[in-house]
Amino acid sequence: MSDLDRQIEQLKRCEPLKESEVKALCLKAMEILVEESNVQRVDAPVTICGDIHGQFYDMKELFKVGGDCPKTNYLFLGDFVDRGFYSVETFLLLLALKVRYPDRITLIRGNHESRQITQVYGFYDECLRKYGSVNVWRYCTDIFDYLSLSALIENKIFSVHGGLSPTITTLDQIRTIDRKQEVPHEGAMCDLLWSDPEDIVDGWGLSPRGAGFLFGGSVVTSFNHTNNIDYICRAHQLVMEGYKWMFNNQIVTVWSAPNYCYRCGNVAAILELDENLNKQFRVFEAAPQESRGAPAKKPPPDYFLADAGVALTRFILVERLLGLQKEWYRCWGF
Amino acid sequence: MEWESDERELKAAGAEPLPDGRSGLRIHGWEIESRKRSILTSLQLQQWEEELQTSHLPEMVFGDNSLVLKHVNTGTKIHFNALDALVGWKHEALPPVEVPAAAKWKFRSKPLQQVVLDYDYTFTTPYNGSETVERNAEIVKVNIPAGLMLATLVRLFHQLFCPYPPCVRGLSNESSCSLHWEDCIDKIDLVALASKEPILFYDEIILYEDELADNGISLLTVKVVMLFWFLLSHINLSDFQFTDERLLCISRGSCQVLRVDGVLMRLRDTRLHCLFERHMKSVILRESCWREATFQALSSKGYPSDCAAYSDPSIISERLPIIMQKAQKLSIEKPCKH
Repeated sequence: MSDLDRQIEQLKRCEPLKESEVKALCLKAMEILVEESNVQRVDAPVTICGDIHGQFYDMKELFKVGGDCPKTNYLFLGDFVDRGFYSVETFLLLLALKVRYPDRITLIRGNHESRQITQVYGFYDECLRKYGSVNVWRYCTDIFDYLSLSALIENKIFSVHGGLSPTITTLDQIRTIDRKQEVPHEGAMCDLLWSDPEDIVDGWGLSPRGAGFLFGGSVVTSFNHTNNIDYICRAHQLVMEGYKWMFNNQIVTVWSAPNYCYRCGNVAAILELDENLNKQFRVFEAAPQESRGAPAKKPPPDYFLADAGVALTRFILVERLLGLQKEWYRCWGF
Repeated sequence: MEWESDERELKAAGAEPLPDGRSGLRIHGWEIESRKRSILTSLQLQQWEEELQTSHLPEMVFGDNSLVLKHVNTGTKIHFNALDALVGWKHEALPPVEVPAAAKWKFRSKPLQQVVLDYDYTFTTPYNGSETVERNAEIVKVNIPAGLMLATLVRLFHQLFCPYPPCVRGLSNESSCSLHWEDCIDKIDLVALASKEPILFYDEIILYEDELADNGISLLTVKVVMLFWFLLSHINLSDFQFTDERLLCISRGSCQVLRVDGVLMRLRDTRLHCLFERHMKSVILRESCWREATFQALSSKGYPSDCAAYSDPSIISERLPIIMQKAQKLSIEKPCKH
């Protein structure tokens, strides 16, 4: 068994790699990713997956439903990290699979694959906690810059993390972007990773935040027509049912993080396309609690310890119960 | 966080868990129930949008979650739910806050047919709870989605004849009886919380949250803690010892935390303090405290301006200046007449 196969087995058990192994893996991945186009060509059959957000055990459910890589050809639409508790293991497993089977898995960039966002929403802290230094975060975020921005399946289905950009009308315009950089705050690359379809606008809408585009049905119609594609497949937004069509089946959102943030109770979906591009959505639920290797119930609160003589005043306890719980907030970057 | 009450302690306090797997308890004429469910489905979201006459709702609306404190004899209910909180958001309608990137975006060339959306995407709400009186307390079951249409009528009526803030859910068997919060100067007795008595019930319930498209967080939660204690009062005139049972229920009420990265933090916190006494009327105290500061103001005071420095809620509340504070009380004495 090669080192890489052993590492994949280890990661499948949700055990992170050593720092030196991460460094070597990232170097190999870089050699592969640098060759990929901004609009990476993907052959059918392929299974398309949306946001994962570090929910490792739920991603294992995804592989149970969709089949193992390399037997199944996968396209992941980004947002591998942040929010969930296992961003490190999740991203490294996907990256190791990419290095091992470069033609059987395609990873494109989500808006969370960014230095700035990961410092706020969990991945940075997780690396620091699991490795005691930020080196692994550095290796991973350097790799993020090499991830492709979109994919084109059999020239018919355009896949991207967020959506469209008013500065882009043709796929060739995407091909000319210099992507090897941190996700910028504005411009075409930013829009592809951040924008959202919106029912109530017809053309373009600007978010009330003053940054961020929303695009309506007519924008999608003209993009699909210009580029001769059937529909757009994107991720980026939570959908309770796992997937959602908009604008008369011209764009679909696929969401692959069930019970998002471990409390939303939503189901997740992946989109399977056969060799003739026939669609089948496979809906799945979060991994059962016991398969996560974590206790189902939290241990009794400190209050009972207080009774046992541990010096913890009641006041502090009640304040803590009523207070915002730090652990609970970790995935929010609080 | 899962919390399990201790059965012996419940028994000793004269409390019983709610039947049929409901989360909560009955104690001395009061019923406390928390409901925690999934976020709304796409179809439900659409119904809520129509109901609230908006095309924007938080990304995660826990529409079937609620916390209900019910006085069984009078049918008086203090409750917290997402729909009423969103009515408050719609009504307050704060102007949108621009994120730091907006400055750069102003110089971007504008696409044809651009619409600029204008609504408070932070879903800031003045909500500090709803109160209703059930007419037939024993029969009525609260079913939130069923009463939506009627709720609209009741609310419309309410808005026509009395100004905000009363937030009343008009389910078919309930009415907005004369529950009246009066301003007061009383303070929640924090010292009472220092007593070492059993916690009978604890829960936290999310009403809604939104990630502001990865520009921060807006989160509205309700928390409740129920304590129980005996108060021993020695009456000097005779040698008999009088024992008075008291129940204390404190709820953080609705607590909304908002952080728009690089722009501002806002904390809107309502604490409810209910002292339930067996032989006396119940008084519910409600303290609301709003705090807010821009990251710029925080850094000019010498505080760090990166959001990672505000992981601890006590730090948030220490560093953010108070912009509004008020106390109110509600007495529950006898059944409401119709």
